[in-house]
Amino acid sequence: MSPLLDLLLLRWPELLTATWQHIYISLGSVALGALLAVPLGIWLSTREHISRMVLGVVGTIQTIPSLAFFGFVLPILGIGILPAMSVLFLYSLLPILRNTYTGIREVDPALIEAGRGMGMNSRQLLFMVKLPVALPVIMAGIRISTVYIISWTTIAALIGAGGLGDLIWGGMNVYDIWLIVAGTIPAALLALLAGFTLGRLEKTVTPRGLKAGYTSGEGEFNI
Amino acid sequence: MIRFEGVLKAYGSLEVVKKLDLHVLEGEFLVLIGPSGCGKTTTLKMINRLIEPTSGKILVNGQNIMEMNPVTLRRKIGYVIQQIGLFPNMTIMDNVDLVPRLLGWDREKRINRVYELLELVGMDPEVYANRYPNELSGGQQQRIGVLRALAAGPSIILMDEPFGALDPITRENLQDELKNLQSKLNKTIVFVTHDMDEAMKLADRIAIMKDGEIIQLGSPESILRNPSDDFVLEFIGKHRVNSCELEKVESIMKTNPVTTDPDRKGTEMLALMKRKGVNTVLVVKNDKQLIGVVTIEKLDNKQNLTYKAEYLADTGLPVITAGSPAREAFDLLVSQKLEYLPVVDQNRGLLGLVTRTSMVNALASVVWGEEELS
Ligand SMILES: Nc1ncnc2c1ncn2[C@@H]1O[C@H](COP(=O)(O)OP(=O)(O)O)[C@@H](O)[C@H]1O
Ligand SMILES: [Mg+2]
Repeated sequence: MSPLLDLLLLRWPELLTATWQHIYISLGSVALGALLAVPLGIWLSTREHISRMVLGVVGTIQTIPSLAFFGFVLPILGIGILPAMSVLFLYSLLPILRNTYTGIREVDPALIEAGRGMGMNSRQLLFMVKLPVALPVIMAGIRISTVYIISWTTIAALIGAGGLGDLIWGGMNVYDIWLIVAGTIPAALLALLAGFTLGRLEKTVTPRGLKAGYTSGEGEFNI
Repeated sequence: MIRFEGVLKAYGSLEVVKKLDLHVLEGEFLVLIGPSGCGKTTTLKMINRLIEPTSGKILVNGQNIMEMNPVTLRRKIGYVIQQIGLFPNMTIMDNVDLVPRLLGWDREKRINRVYELLELVGMDPEVYANRYPNELSGGQQQRIGVLRALAAGPSIILMDEPFGALDPITRENLQDELKNLQSKLNKTIVFVTHDMDEAMKLADRIAIMKDGEIIQLGSPESILRNPSDDFVLEFIGKHRVNSCELEKVESIMKTNPVTTDPDRKGTEMLALMKRKGVNTVLVVKNDKQLIGVVTIEKLDNKQNLTYKAEYLADTGLPVITAGSPAREAFDLLVSQKLEYLPVVDQNRGLLGLVTRTSMVNALASVVWGEEELS
């Protein structure tokens, strides 16, 4: 253990900075992703034709290996935080988009019929019925996205984004296993913490009337 | 109140409702009934514009609904569906006062209204107002479904097989409650079902539909009496025979009860009972007019044997007038635990006797058919 301890004693300011960078790169990307994907998912939920196309395109982005993707944006956007966050932002879209879309599409048709039949307009139907009922599923999409974007942010260090990936890549360059460990453990802990916190939040936003027997939407998207 | 004028609904070339003309009267309970897929739901949903007719006109209170804002129209019409469709994210309170909220009633008025409605169906507001739908039984949920439709006081309520998914006992209870509510509130109700029992029980008028057309429209009685064709006959099948309401009490009574004139003594009556193998004789005056009844128990007494029938007769016994439905006689027999019930004419002239045996025979003929009895 002592090499790791030595390393921490010597380089803790660097580790702290890297962790902080890691947090805002990943959470920032996911937040921007959610900002686009949730409204887009809502919009798509009533448009079957376009939705198939859009989900297809976003799904394709997802299949591009991330390493290659960072390589592609390099000549266009250069290096640094901006290109890194752009790529992570695109990757964060699919789980959120798909969960928002399916979450809303899978709201019991009887509820929609009751709502319309009683005279809700489409905005009231969205905000009083569809969104509250789909919220746990949407939140699950955000959680899944966050957890894996935190781990992929380590790759973003390759194009100079900073974050914990810097330590890992640095360690690989100089064959220092302890440097790699010092980057990996906080990244893993961050992912765990984010998953746990968002999981709790998901439960909190689930209406009491929906709690029993309602799936969290875990199965909607698998990576 | 609601008037369909040549209303047609087609999907492509398939006409699911064909040139429908129908006038639902104010305060009427109209039941649409027919086999699955005959267009009941389509007809119902055209009233609140959840489905729009291909051609024809629907007037509500004289106003063409196609010229009204659909959202405004729907808020004026109560709507209850088979799947209940309570919002799981809202409390009972929020579910029931949904339309008042959409209409912008103030909070106090809404709370009062919800309390009043819950009390109307015997659900304690203190207990239920803040519960969620999944904390209620199916029957309770649909009670709330009905209250939600009543909340803003619409004069028209549309109900699409509202009790279809409930167990038989709960269904009966809710039917009773609905009937009770209707007698208090006098709404115009259009009610879809495929259950003839339900239709018979609730309807003022029944519209029987087949392949997108109404093939007979009338009161339950008139449909049972004069089914317009074989389809209707088959559809109401069981009820036609079962309809003890339709059979008159004369058709099931015994016509030769053992009688005696008022002057006979107890001893003579005892002998008569022994000879005829009965334990009761009816006392009639002038060969016709019913005075009362003497039972064997009355004669189990030395002194009574010396009295005349006139004095021994129990004159307070219930009777039933000819022309009454047989069902009424059964109800009396059962509810008052009687062994028999004399049938009399307007002037209390004895015509016959309904006994428990005649009741059993009549009911058996419903179950096994007339032929096998004779
Ligand atoms: N959107 C639709 N497209 C095509 N056919 C439909 C549609 N909705 C209903 N139908 C058809 O219309 C007929 C009547 O339906 P419906 O009114 O729901 O019947 P009911 O309520 O009497 O069972 C059925 O044959 C059904 O298949
Ligand atoms: Mg139907």
